[in-house]
Parts: sequence; C-alpha cells; structure tokens
Amino acid sequence: MNDIELKKIINIAVEAGKIMLTNGAETYRVEETVKRMAESRLNTEVNVFVIPTGMIFSAEPDGILITKLYRVNPSGIDLESIDRTNEFARQFSSTDMSLDEAESKLLELVSPPNFTKLTRFFFSGMAGGFFVLLFGGTLSEFILSYVASSFTILLWDNLTSKNMNFFIKNILGGFLASLLCFIGISIGKWIGVEASFNMVIIGPLMTLVPGVSLTNGIRDLISGELLAGSAKIMEALFIAIALAFGAGMVLQFVLAWI
Amino acid sequence: MNIFLQGLYSFFCVVGFSIIFNLPRKLIFIASINGMFGWMLYAFLQSSGTSFIVPAFIGSIFVGLVGEFLASVQKHPATLFIIPGIIPFVPGYGIYYTMYHIVSQDFETAMTTGAESLFIAISIACGIVLATSLFRIIRPFTEKFCVFTPKKNNTI
Repeated sequence: MNDIELKKIINIAVEAGKIMLTNGAETYRVEETVKRMAESRLNTEVNVFVIPTGMIFSAEPDGILITKLYRVNPSGIDLESIDRTNEFARQFSSTDMSLDEAESKLLELVSPPNFTKLTRFFFSGMAGGFFVLLFGGTLSEFILSYVASSFTILLWDNLTSKNMNFFIKNILGGFLASLLCFIGISIGKWIGVEASFNMVIIGPLMTLVPGVSLTNGIRDLISGELLAGSAKIMEALFIAIALAFGAGMVLQFVLAWI
Repeated sequence: MNIFLQGLYSFFCVVGFSIIFNLPRKLIFIASINGMFGWMLYAFLQSSGTSFIVPAFIGSIFVGLVGEFLASVQKHPATLFIIPGIIPFVPGYGIYYTMYHIVSQDFETAMTTGAESLFIAISIACGIVLATSLFRIIRPFTEKFCVFTPKKNNTI
C-alpha cells in the first residue's frame, strides 16, 4: 500500500464520519462507522474519538503513526444523509470498491435529496399544528398554529442557509415564531376568534426546540460517552435559552396587548 | 380524550417531523405508525394515573424495540425509526417553559418544570438504551422466526 492510497482511505473514512456527525448521528455510530471503514482496508487497529464538534482519528499502518484532527460544525438532523452514509460505509467495508469509485460516491453523499420547499412548508405546519391538538387545543388554535409553524420553518430554512451563529439564529427563530403567533392571534381577535397564546405557540416552538438533542445527549451519557453527552446537553440548553430570549421579547408585548 | 383520536393526531405529528428531519420517503409511513402506537401507549398509561416518568419510559421502550426490529428487517439504521418515534414524548415544550420562567424571573416554577423535563428526557433515553440492549438478546430469535424477507444485498 503506498502513501497516496493510505491517505485516500483515511480521507474517505473520515469524510463519511463527518457527514454523519454534521447530520446528527449518534456518537457511537460515527465512531463505529469510521473505525469499521478504516480497519477493513488498513489491516491495523484504528482509534477514533468523536465529540459533537470534532473528531480525532489515529492509526498506525506499517509502522507509520497517523493522527488527524478534524473540526466539525453540527447542523441539525438529516436522517436521509445518515441512512445513505451508513449504506455507503457497509458497501465500502464489505466489498472491494475501488478508492476512486468511493470518492465519487462520497461526493454524491454531501448533498442528499431533500424535500421541496413546498412539501416542507406544508408538512412542518402539520408537525406543529397536530401538537396543539395533542395538548388539547381547539380548532382555531390548531389552524393558527399550523400556519405559524409553516412560516416559522420557511423562515428558519432561510436563516440556516445564511450560515449564522447558532445562538443568534435561535434568538431570531424564537422571535419570529412568537411574532407570527402574535400576528395570527391579533388577526383572529379582529375577526372574532378566541385563541390562547400559550397554546398556539406550542406548535412553532416544538419544531425548533432541541428535545431530540437533549434526549440524545442523555443517551450518550448513559452509554458512557461522557464528553459528547455533556456537549450535546449544553448545546440543547443554550438553544433553549436563545429561543426563550427571542420569544420573551415578543411576550412583553403580548402581556400588554392580550 | 379519546385514545384513538390521540393516536391519529400523533400520527400526523410524526409524519410532519419525519419531513422536517428529512426521513427517506419510503420509511415515513412505517416510522409514523411506530410513533403512533408509542404515543397511544403513553396516553393510555398517562390516563391510568401513573406518574409523569413511567409513560415516557414504557413508551420509549416500545418505540425502541419496534424501531430495532424494523431496523433489522428493513436494513436501515435504527435511529431512522426511533428519532421520529420519540418526538411526541420529547419534553420540548418543558424545556421552552423552563427557559421562559427563567427569563421572566420565576425561578421556583422554572426549577419544577426544568427537573420534570430533565427526568422525562432521562427516562426516554433509558428506555431506548434498555430497548437496544434487550433487542440484542432477542435478535437471534427474531431472525430465526422472521416471516418477512429481509433484503439480502446489503447485509455485512
């Protein structure tokens, strides 16, 4: 095995791990994937250490010590990416896929197919709206929440594409979510429909609140990934603080108006 | 409230979140059914008067076991079925409310809500970890008696 091949193998394994990590896969899955991919080709023991914001890879093939540190920026949950990368990792480690072929497949993985904007717009409203019904809301609250959640996710996707600091982004998200609810309720009041603010805001906020990353963080802690778990819980905490900041600004007006 | 109506609501809720999380198209229906039954179990336990921890714990064990089973049948990572499935019980609203009370300087209520949502999150996580380890024990049996035909082309 020459130097170039060695570098390629490590690159492919780590890039696949990075795609999984940025799209919200569990820590143990990323570690296992990278380890399995690299070990299947390198015939040596590989150590991988993963935290939500980075990855350290170390191996000693043919007596040369290779250690690499990669910085990763997590960007929400994308299950399609995780699924495809997992599939790719299985193929890479179980078949004799050539390295060039693997590299070209990896390039496809970077941008997986996504739902169209219209589908996302329609179904994110569904996610928020039906939550209100689960918590015992009325029909008018359901409709208001549906519309507010749809627009929140639409605006949220626009904010995400701007590559903004996550704290500021979440402050804006919370602000927009509650502003939309406030506008909706004001219009409703004008027509003559009663809706409680605390009920309507469940929908748009549920689509933004980091419940899954909190649960995943605790799951990591339970399975012994102490550092990754604490990092995820801290992230969830700060996202929640940012959302509350944003929503709090609007709530001041709401308390005065309604 | 009627438990089947709740099931219907949670089904649509999980469908919505599956789209937000960009779940592969062909898995959306099956994952949503999983989430629906998980929530129906949760709602049933909650209406029978247990504490706030038990429903989330039992519900996530159920979602985790079904998710792991579906993962072994369909050959996709179990996360794809578990993350949308636990969405209805995840304490997102609790987390928001905790922070809202802190922002509005009501620290006592914030402590109560915060502890409650933390324990719900812990019980969900425990439930999933337990389901995953339980499934490792059951797995040989399910593979032996599996009536479905797993796809053979992408097994390791």
